[in-house]
Amino acid sequence: MNYSIEAENLNLWYGDFQALIDVNVKIPGGQITSLIGPSGCGKSTLLRCFNRVNERYGNVTTKGKIEVLGKNIYDADVSLPELRKAVGMVFQRPNPLPISVYENILFGLRIHSPIRSMTRTESDQIVEEALTSVFLWEDLKDNLKVRATSLQLEQQQKLCIARLLPLKPKIILMDEPCSALDAKGTGAVEELMEILAGTYTFLIVTHNMAQARRVSKECIFMFLGELIEHRETQALFEDPQHEKTEDYVQMRYG
Amino acid sequence: MTRPKLRKKIILLSITVIIEIVALIFFWNALKKTDVTNGQASPALGTSGGLPNLLGDLNLILPISFLVILLGIACAFYVEEWLSATNWVRRFIESQVAFLTGIPSLLYGLLAVAVFFGYAGVFKATLQNAEGSALAGTPFQRNTALFYTETLIFILTVMPVAIKTTQTALRSVETPIRESAYALGATQWQVLTKQVVPRAFPRMLAGGCRAMARAFAAAALLVGIYAWSHTMELRGFPDRFMLFLGGALLLSNASSFLTEIYVPASTQHN
Ligand SMILES: Nc1ncnc2c1ncn2[C@@H]1O[C@H](COP(=O)(O)OP(=O)(O)OP(=O)(O)O)[C@@H](O)[C@H]1O
Ligand SMILES: [Mg+2]
Repeated sequence: MNYSIEAENLNLWYGDFQALIDVNVKIPGGQITSLIGPSGCGKSTLLRCFNRVNERYGNVTTKGKIEVLGKNIYDADVSLPELRKAVGMVFQRPNPLPISVYENILFGLRIHSPIRSMTRTESDQIVEEALTSVFLWEDLKDNLKVRATSLQLEQQQKLCIARLLPLKPKIILMDEPCSALDAKGTGAVEELMEILAGTYTFLIVTHNMAQARRVSKECIFMFLGELIEHRETQALFEDPQHEKTEDYVQMRYG
Repeated sequence: MTRPKLRKKIILLSITVIIEIVALIFFWNALKKTDVTNGQASPALGTSGGLPNLLGDLNLILPISFLVILLGIACAFYVEEWLSATNWVRRFIESQVAFLTGIPSLLYGLLAVAVFFGYAGVFKATLQNAEGSALAGTPFQRNTALFYTETLIFILTVMPVAIKTTQTALRSVETPIRESAYALGATQWQVLTKQVVPRAFPRMLAGGCRAMARAFAAAALLVGIYAWSHTMELRGFPDRFMLFLGGALLLSNASSFLTEIYVPASTQHN
């Protein structure tokens, strides 16, 4: 089995509050894994460890080992821009930059490559490819100059996925990517994830257990900073091994 | 707010208030020694070229204020973007800025006037003591101590406003914009130059104008009061002047002191 992310004895503190306790987890490559658990149990915190954006939140201490694509991301020689290029992130509220659709797609490339290294034809092609992959090309091809923040939420969220693609990430982290969307938008984003899953490893935090069941192959249940159970999704929902998992799954489904 | 935090703030602000009071007493004493106290305008101020000298100082001080604004902007960037909300340097700067911006620029202007009168008088008196009344008609020469004090007052007027408005401008750029740029791998420098500064720029410019306006207001006041002091009877002027000025300073101290206690200056990142 090839694993995209392997965390060993991961502990994390915000000040002196311990938000992650001895987390050991292996996320398989090329498929969708979901992360569920009650509010405040540390799902977002765990997710943000994998591209090291947690460190921006001030008083954070992390102990333990995290290997992403076989490389320990806390090694001194790790470049954060390169790490974040390989590990993309999609947020709860769609957050395209308040610039044009076209420039949103190119923003990642522009910050990672020397100035003006792309010709107009190249960048046109990159934008078209990225938008085609998320099924937005037909809708937006005549509106590339439109400010991205004025699109519908569903389109914005798809654009946030699309802008990761030109960077050729291996892993895409998603923190409740559908909670701001309606049913139709949710369906569209889920469908998109399933199509992209062969190419990218997805780790998705969700409060929607139906969604976890629909899209993910494996599922992780967390509780108060600890990883309680990690199994195939169907098994976790139908035959939970831990009482806490059962309580959580029943509570929503009983 | 927890108790120890509250105590820390009270101690910090008490220190500032004490410094302020000591400064006031110092200025008051300086003022007492001037000829103005006798109820007559000092000949030194009236006839010896004090106004041209003052204008000469201002010609230098206003450009300096401009540089100070740039410095304030740099300081705001450092505090807001590089120091965490819990860093003590940041907390200290923020509390001082909150305190100093709480004082209306008018008061600074008056303070500048007090210093100007005070030092001018002292200087004049020293000259007279040293060389007798022979020097009475000598043009008032540039007093470097006076010049530095005036400059310091202008810095105190302008710098906190520049810091405060720049910080507000930087904060006005929403977290999601920063978050998404960082998550795409942008460095801090890229986030600042490509996203934050372009968006915060109009507000930063507005803030710079406000800071400069404070400098000009203080300068105008200085010149105005100077002229006024030579055209009217000055009996009892310094005492009452210091009384009102002192009262105003203490009241505005009290007001920023109270807001500091109830509204923490630094907000956590969310
Ligand atoms: N920046 C921070 N500073 C301090 N504590 C934090 C910070 N971020 C999160 N926490 C705390 O860490 C714990 C885990 O938070 P986290 O956001 O990871 O939970 P979550 O499982 O994602 O919750 P939700 O489902 O509500 O999004 C919570 O108790 C939270 O209060
Ligand atoms: Mg969360």
